[in-house]
Amino acid sequence: MEVGGVEVAAPVSRAALEDRLRDIQSITDAALSRLDDHDLLAELIERTRAVLLADTAAVLLLDFSSGHLIATAAAGLEEEVRQGVRIPVGRGFAGRIAAEHQPVILDHVDHSTVLNPILWAKGIRALMGVPLIAGGKVIGVLHVGSLTPREFTGEDLELLQLAADRAATAVASLMAQEDRVAAEALQRSLLPPAPPVVGGAEIAVRYVAGEGKVGGDWYDVFTLPSGQLGIVIGDVTGAGLPAAVIMGRMRSTLRAYALESADPAEVLARLDAKMQHFEPGALATVLYAVLDPGLERIHICSAGHYPPVVASPQRPAELADVPPGLLIGAVPGARRRVATMRIGQGTLFCFYTDGLIERRGQRIDDGLARLCQAVKAEPPDTACATVMGALVGGEAAPDDIALLIFRRQP
Amino acid sequence: MTAEGGGLRWMGEQAVVTAPAEIDAANAGEIRQALLAAASHDAAVLIIDMSATTFCDSAGVQAIIDTYNQAAATQTQLRLVATAVLRILTLVGVDQLTPIYPTLEAALAGAPTAAASVPDPDDPR
Repeated sequence: MEVGGVEVAAPVSRAALEDRLRDIQSITDAALSRLDDHDLLAELIERTRAVLLADTAAVLLLDFSSGHLIATAAAGLEEEVRQGVRIPVGRGFAGRIAAEHQPVILDHVDHSTVLNPILWAKGIRALMGVPLIAGGKVIGVLHVGSLTPREFTGEDLELLQLAADRAATAVASLMAQEDRVAAEALQRSLLPPAPPVVGGAEIAVRYVAGEGKVGGDWYDVFTLPSGQLGIVIGDVTGAGLPAAVIMGRMRSTLRAYALESADPAEVLARLDAKMQHFEPGALATVLYAVLDPGLERIHICSAGHYPPVVASPQRPAELADVPPGLLIGAVPGARRRVATMRIGQGTLFCFYTDGLIERRGQRIDDGLARLCQAVKAEPPDTACATVMGALVGGEAAPDDIALLIFRRQP
Repeated sequence: MTAEGGGLRWMGEQAVVTAPAEIDAANAGEIRQALLAAASHDAAVLIIDMSATTFCDSAGVQAIIDTYNQAAATQTQLRLVATAVLRILTLVGVDQLTPIYPTLEAALAGAPTAAASVPDPDDPR
């Protein structure tokens, strides 16, 4: 609105305010039905800039693994995204907003208040930013800027926060969706599509994502140059993409050490040391078994993992007597012990993760007893079907499940 | 369970945190925070009372292990009380880190338990 050549801010009427609110609402409602979050963010900042009559607008999203805010979408400030600006949480303008979960308004922009040189080199005179909060956590920062001196008002702030709140939910659900797709792709790429063919060994596998969400469960089976057969089953604590990424690293690391040592305790000890050094804080249960070339003996080492169930044509199924060992990642130098047992012809080993037997409101011993009842020395594919039928049935498993059944040919 | 509220209580120099009936990914983060806070009080002994706990998944185990490491850093001795979840704690080797007692009274008295409390690298087992 111009009066006598001088631009002044008009008092915002209630109706006008409601219009502005509607504008913002329209961004996020439409966006929810779309899948690409970059479209959503581009539209969000364009609308936000228009509604607030600002010159620039930008969204930075928090990368949880590095603790940096990463410029993801910008209007009037495209360099931010193109140059891959990263701001540590706690530092600078955006970093402060994320660290304190509080809006920040700056009417003086220079290197003392703003970390990112693009902002002050651009000639931005005033900045206002708010946190994007979803599920009680900061997931990013939304900010607008003015190239002319401006005092952002309380009402401006309210509008920006409103836009941020609406967007945060949509962005979080889209990010979760992207993570889920990535985790699923990763999980799929890491589980061996077909077990190796080894004379006399019959193997069948199952993997089920818990309630539609993949986690850090995995199995692996490979032959070694010595003619031995390696079988791995493991479970990384946590869920989703972070757990799947750690699982992928553990799987590769274990394979590498398996080439260097035939002793499963040694392999797990090295894996443990590697994880403690490079992935501090990560925790996983892993069981690694090495079978002799003729498949007559199995050497099992468990790092906090459930023992396999063993069944033979002569004996009912029972839990294998494997000495418990500490989880991978718990403390340095944990003791690792190996159980060695003979494998008769037709003997079957059932390896599994906790998702198969743990249910809220049920004792673990009940789950283990049900598993032992279900396992029979039958062909592995049939045995997998029997076990999944008995322990999962038609229910969606809350946690993911990995199952690997090995049988020495009768 | 909260760090400073009803969850943490003192019996002389021994701090006791009572764990809820079920621990899983939904509440383990909160429990972990409360346990880490309790472990940073420089108590001589920290007891996690899990006698009412009937379910504890890997997220709960992670909270216990993190607490063990925090307690070790402040020279606080960690003890557990568990019955229903004893099996899972033994399975993941927690009993190799910290003694596990059947009752709170036994944990307060602190008699040695059967399980070795510290891994012994020279143990031939």
